[in-house]
Formats: sequence, structure tokens, C-alpha cells
Amino acid sequence: MSGRAVLRIVVLIGMTLLVQTTVVLDIRIAGMAPDVMVLLPIAAGLVAEPPEAAVIGFASGLAADLLLPAPFGLSALVGALIAAGVSLTAASLPREIPGLSVLAALVGSAVSVMLYAVLGALLGESQFLHADLAVMVPLVAVTNAVLAVPAVRLTRRALVPPGDRAPAGSQR
Amino acid sequence: MARPRRSRRTLTTLVVLILLSVTIITLDETGKAQVLISGAKTAASDIYSPLRSGVNGVLDPIGRFFAGAVNYGTLQQENQKLQQQVQTLEHQGAADGAARSQLNALQRLLAVNRLPALAGLTYVAAQVTAQDISNFVATVTIDKGRDTSVTIGDPVLGPGGLIGQVTTATRTTATVRLLTDGLSKVGVTYGNQQEATVAGQGAGRDLGVDFVAAATPISKGEDLVTSGLQGAAYPAGIPVATVTSVHTVAGANDRVVHAAPIVDLNGLTYVEVLHWSGSS
Repeated sequence: MSGRAVLRIVVLIGMTLLVQTTVVLDIRIAGMAPDVMVLLPIAAGLVAEPPEAAVIGFASGLAADLLLPAPFGLSALVGALIAAGVSLTAASLPREIPGLSVLAALVGSAVSVMLYAVLGALLGESQFLHADLAVMVPLVAVTNAVLAVPAVRLTRRALVPPGDRAPAGSQR
Repeated sequence: MARPRRSRRTLTTLVVLILLSVTIITLDETGKAQVLISGAKTAASDIYSPLRSGVNGVLDPIGRFFAGAVNYGTLQQENQKLQQQVQTLEHQGAADGAARSQLNALQRLLAVNRLPALAGLTYVAAQVTAQDISNFVATVTIDKGRDTSVTIGDPVLGPGGLIGQVTTATRTTATVRLLTDGLSKVGVTYGNQQEATVAGQGAGRDLGVDFVAAATPISKGEDLVTSGLQGAAYPAGIPVATVTSVHTVAGANDRVVHAAPIVDLNGLTYVEVLHWSGSS
């Protein structure tokens, strides 16, 4: 990853965090808000190689952790695991799958939220499992699936130099 | 040859990141890097709060209008302004539902100030700027911070009673853990000075009332107020919750009691942060 790509990723993480804590937090369904910070590791997993994706997932999680009243480092751990998981899964596919980004956002977001709740509970935050996961998981998964295509495009623009970009919609 | 090397690099990176995360989490949980982590969190919030406020300002001019109404300096000015707002709203005749509910909330907030238990304590009025920054915690963000002497641990009051406690404070904002948060616990009294603990069970859920002995009389509709024992996190006598259900399980030592917060935690606009050190 070039220095410019790192800078663009840092800006992307900062902007996503700002969008999450302003616009997105105001969208409430049954008291729950979507979580676009979860989408960033997934988008990185679809665009970058597994090691780079894991680092981006870790960084975006750590940025979120700075503002959350929860165990510091938990979002970073989940972000790294999800990004690496998505990247490895996408790399192992024998051929391109139409709508992969939407599917990855849907499944990845659901897994991410549940992983966060379970790991949080294991760390003593038992109230994480008392949260209304039946509303939270589908809400986060569906909103992130809707936002998946633009999120992947933005991440690709941040990571890949203009000359090397593949046509929109294609995998890595 | 390239593939195994790539797999090894992936595995190494992942292992390093997992170890790094676990180390950070452990340091945070054990409190060994408390100064470093809370310093980083505070610095991040100090940088982010103005940005967030700016964006919210652009997106929510109506909210900013109301924020301008709550700009008090001293304790007396705070009270006067609240009273002026109440009077203004009264004069307007509380024509619509929103104004009527606002008026009601401000009147109840003023009533809480007059509680005998709070006599002599100072407080700062604040406006709620964001609700639940994460789906997993029940918190609100307020527009007052260290600049106005808001510190971690300060009790926060809403219209009618206690809403929670300050958990982080930046220069200009603070995060308040609400009563419903899973980590919230408040010592309360009921009936004939019987003591119990009100515990949060997650946003939108009823509160649990622990340590109510099976033989102790307690009934639905009964109010629970802060106990204010020696070194308590809250002064005594602040209304906290109303009992919503009482069940007795055969053979159990304690009753299963649930309660609802006295304050509507979903519709918070104005709150007051008490300057309370626990021994005030």
C-alpha cells in the first residue's frame, strides 16, 4: 500500500466515522441504528488482499473504539477478523459472482454484529447479549447491503491507484 | 510458490493483529493502561466533538435553534432561563403537542431542582445532542463537558428524576450512561427505608430490582429513590424508577421485581449534571 493510499484510507475511515456518528445515528428503527463502520472492513476485504484488508479492518475498528463506551480494542479485533474472512472467502471463489459485494455486506455485517456481542459478553459485557439482536442484526445487515456497492467503490478508489482500477462491479 | 508465501503473510498479519487487539483489550480491562487509553479516547473525542457538532449543525438547524436557548452561565442564570422558557411556553399556550411536552419536561426538571436532597448542590444545565452512540450501550451525549466542570461520575438528572451518570467527559461534551444500560447499578430505597439495587438490562428494557427479600412488602406503582449511603455515587432522595411488576418465586430468597425509569429516557432534551463527589 502506498503512502497516498494509506492517507486516503485514513480519510475514508474518518469520514465514515463522522457519517456514522451524525447522520446514521439519527436513523432509528425500534430504537436501533444502522452501523456503517461495520461495512468498511467488509469493503476492504472485497478490494484488498487479506493482510491489507485485515489491517484496514483493525484500523477502522480501533477508530470506532476511540468513541465507544465499550472495551477498547474489541471493534478492532472484530474488524480485523471480518476483513480477513471476507478477503479470504472472496479470493477462494472459483469465479466472479454477481452481487458479491451485496451478499458479503449482508452476511458479513450479521456475523460482525453477533461476533461483537459474543466477544463482548466473553469479556464481561454480558449486557451485549441482552441487546435486541433480533432487530439489530437484520437492520445493520440490510442497510449495509444497500450501501455495499458505493462503499466498495469508495474503498477501491482509496486503495487502488487510478490506472490500476478494474471496471466497477468486478472483483479485485 | 507465491500462494504459500501469501498464505503465510496473511496468517502472520492476522495473528499479529489478534494478539495486538487482545493486548489492548487486556490493558483496558485490567486498567493498566488506563491513563493512556482514556487519554487517547478523550483526545479523539476532543477532536471529533467539534466536527460532529459542525455536521449536526448543518444537518439539523432546528436542533441548533433549541441549543441556543440553553446557554447558561451560573446556577441562577440557568434557573432563570429555564423559568423564562417555561413562562414563554405557557404564554404561547402550548399550542401544539411538542411544545406542551417540552413545557411539561422543563417543569419537571425544575421540580427536581427543588428536591430537599439537592439543596446546596450545584449543577449545570445541558442539552442532549446524541442518543445511543452504539446499539450495545444505553448512553446519551450532552453538550457540556470539562469546561463547565462536568466530571466522570457526576449524576445526571432529567425531568422528574435520575437518568444516569457521566462516564466520559471531553472539553465540551460528555457521555452519560443511562439507567437502562447493562452496566448501570443504583442503590435505592423503598417502603420503610428498605434497600435494593436498580440494575439496567439494556436500552428499551425494564430495569431489574435486585435484593428485594421475599418477606419484604413492595407493590406495583411504588417509587424507588436513591439511597445515598456513605460514599454512594448519587445523593439520597432522587426519584429513580417506579415498580412495574412484582413476582414471588416459591422457595427463592428474593422477589423478582421490575421497574420503569421515572424519566422518559427516549425523549430527553434538557438535563442537569450535578456536581457530586460522593461525599458532598
